[in-house]
Amino acid sequence: MKLVDAKKLSDLAAALAAKGYRVAAPIQDGDVVRLKEWSPGAVIRTDAVPVNSAKDFLFPRSEIIGRYSIEGNDFTPVDVRPDSTRTVLLGVPPCDATALAVLDAVFNWDYKDEFYNARRAAVTVVTLACAAADDFCFCTSVGGRPDSTAGADAILRPADGARKFILEPLGEKGRALVAAAASALADGEAKADPPAEVPVRFDAKQVSAWLADNFESDLWTTLSMACLGCGACAYACPTCHCFDIQDEATRQESVRRRNWDSCGFGLFTAHAGGHNPRANQSARWRNRVMHKFSYIPERFKTLGCTGCGRCGRMCPAGMAIADICSEIMRAHEAVKK
Amino acid sequence: MTENLYQPMKMRVAASRDEAPEVRTLRLEFPDEAARAAFFVKYRVGMFGLYGLPGAGESTFCVASPPTRTEYIECTFRRVGRVTSALADREIGQPITFRGPYGNAFPIESWKGRNILFVAGGIALPPLRSVIWNILDRRAEFGDVTIVYGARTVADLVYKDELADWGARQDVRLVTTVDPGGETPDWKGKIGFVPTVLKEVAPSPASAVALVCGPPIMIKFSLPVLKGLGFPPGDTYTTLENRMKCGIGKCGRCNVGSVYVCKDGPVFTVEQLQRLPHADM
Amino acid sequence: MDMIAALRADAAAVLADGRAKMVIGYRALGLRRRPVFITDGKMAELLVYDAACTQNLAAYLRKSELKRFRPMAIVARPAVIRSLVVLAAESQLKAEDVVVMAVGENEYHGIRDLAGATALLKEKYPKLAPPQATLALLEKLSSMTPEERAGFWRAEFAKCTRCYACRAACPGCYCTRCIVEKNVPQWVPAAADAHGNYAWNVIRAFHQAGRCTLCGACEAACPQGIPLMALNVRIAQDVAEEFGVQPGDDPAAKPVIGSWSADDKEDFIR
Repeated sequence: MKLVDAKKLSDLAAALAAKGYRVAAPIQDGDVVRLKEWSPGAVIRTDAVPVNSAKDFLFPRSEIIGRYSIEGNDFTPVDVRPDSTRTVLLGVPPCDATALAVLDAVFNWDYKDEFYNARRAAVTVVTLACAAADDFCFCTSVGGRPDSTAGADAILRPADGARKFILEPLGEKGRALVAAAASALADGEAKADPPAEVPVRFDAKQVSAWLADNFESDLWTTLSMACLGCGACAYACPTCHCFDIQDEATRQESVRRRNWDSCGFGLFTAHAGGHNPRANQSARWRNRVMHKFSYIPERFKTLGCTGCGRCGRMCPAGMAIADICSEIMRAHEAVKK
Repeated sequence: MTENLYQPMKMRVAASRDEAPEVRTLRLEFPDEAARAAFFVKYRVGMFGLYGLPGAGESTFCVASPPTRTEYIECTFRRVGRVTSALADREIGQPITFRGPYGNAFPIESWKGRNILFVAGGIALPPLRSVIWNILDRRAEFGDVTIVYGARTVADLVYKDELADWGARQDVRLVTTVDPGGETPDWKGKIGFVPTVLKEVAPSPASAVALVCGPPIMIKFSLPVLKGLGFPPGDTYTTLENRMKCGIGKCGRCNVGSVYVCKDGPVFTVEQLQRLPHADM
Repeated sequence: MDMIAALRADAAAVLADGRAKMVIGYRALGLRRRPVFITDGKMAELLVYDAACTQNLAAYLRKSELKRFRPMAIVARPAVIRSLVVLAAESQLKAEDVVVMAVGENEYHGIRDLAGATALLKEKYPKLAPPQATLALLEKLSSMTPEERAGFWRAEFAKCTRCYACRAACPGCYCTRCIVEKNVPQWVPAAADAHGNYAWNVIRAFHQAGRCTLCGACEAACPQGIPLMALNVRIAQDVAEEFGVQPGDDPAAKPVIGSWSADDKEDFIR
């Protein structure tokens, strides 16, 4: 086994950086834990889900997808290369790695998105098995586990009573990473600690079943009443991938960017002619839940939610998809009786 | 390096025409022969593209010309905002950006020998105009062609010259109408809303397909008329004009339920639409 | 009767006698607090109130789904009462559409109409109350050089993802189309990038000048932990100094930045 001392994760990060990896890890940043680029001195946290998810490094919040030089009424496209900096995401929660299945599917299901794929190919995902969970976590309700290896190239398992980590490679990229990190790893034996207890809060299949029959239900108005239509949940969510395309220009140059967008915003579906198919927050909220538990499974054969709990932690109004699903389960049970 | 999905090609404005107040048609030529040929390998009638200008952005319109005319493509749009204003201000010889063709197409090969009914309103004639010309360019392969088209006022009718052409043909039945109050003193067509006129015209559903395109309210009242006339929902087609951004099934904006209008559409049968979550339309 | 019991009893009472069709208050969700929308008196038992109740419930009054539940009773701490007064002054709500269930830090002041709630402010909570942590930060900032301060804010705004939770949480942000949603012209770049982030956050603070009641809901809402209140408190201090007014004192007061008078001083024009 390859082992690293639990207090020496920074040495692991430094070893990888010395071998040319850009290292990103959950870092203490003021009052929050943020998945960001590591630099010597940064404190790596291993006990909290970061406020942002692994998707930030594969599908950044703003990305240049086109560039033009402008000459009067004419313009010339300028080549734009996707970012393919070799990167390791060191210590992301397993729910983030599981979410990559959705992003991989959307960005490749017919047209292959090179901006995403270049980053994806250059990223090595090292998950950190969760030894603890908070009230917002619910991976086990959506087919996940706190020590899941889905989507990961390697996994760090807390061991020997949180004194060490076992670094276990899960494929070619993982093996390359372990080789690169050799100077920070020790050979030895250790016993993996039990993963966190994450109580099952609802049955995702039953939620999907209720959703299939209850598009017009009055429950949507009640469930969504607290939602004020910001983008906090969508931006924090590791599977959300909707984006806007916007040009920013001067007289000499125009840059075309894709920016994160959220179906929760009022104008998301507004037509130029004035019609808005999702005209109130209740319709928008319903769309969000149905995407996670109905539409994404239908098109991509995987749930659109991995139970990371960020939407619940971030929501200014204290809404959480897990709570919504629990309420739906109650409605489902009530109908069955 | 594989190509940038979002990189448009540069098209040249070869001609432009004002159709109606604030409504313009642009005829666009390809940057080179390879691009032109590649486009027409893929293009079938009903598909759409994203037309734009660096600095302004991109907008989604159908390709308003048929695949039987392979020297150019055309688009028709109303000047309503940032991108459409920039496009409408383009002059002959100037470039715009174009990405496409995207989406699905009207299955016109399966309509051979059948009668075709077109029902359109206002600025929604362009998506059907490409089909009309596609069929008229291959006239012998299809049965009767009936067109019912109306707009708010005479001035708002688009493709006025082509309407005159179609009206003059012996192998096309054209009925045009304007809303009550929209007529001019020398207006010779009908006066009445499109659904009402459609009911009057009462085309036969026998061996026919119907294509409907118009503002939501026109569609809402036309579909029951077609149903009443006996047109099966599986043989009634429309094209959805949802808000789109990427056009290639990634940005999520055009989702209606689990359907991506840009991939599974924009052409749908009424039967398919009836299976979509209605309130999200 | 203790504070919470009295609050719950009043909530049930206003629903029972028809003074309100809905009570908007807070309920507990583990350690967090969440808005609750009560139309059935039996649900009044869910109501809680404590320092963890950071949302400004006046922000919900702009939701179209709630319009049919007027008049609405709102559990309102002093800053939230001020928000209601500002909304009334800006013609966003009618006094008869709202019933105030006034709460202080440890006290429940009972049910009042808007005029009565305004009087309560004058009597017991006459000054805007900036949070202590914000005042401490402002002291730290005022001892910095302009370059250091600019660097501080640049680092903070770099975290902004333009989720607009701050805007959603704020009762003063009720524009049907926000300035960032306009693109002819595009006043503020939409991308979550340095340039646009600076513009967005500063513009929002400026649009709240003279209107912000220092409720803190924006900073509490920010998923990235950006100290937005520092901007709002500093501007509120400037408004008090320059104009001698504070928002929420008078439901008939004209908005200080949004209105003009021939007597406005011009001594800053030199």
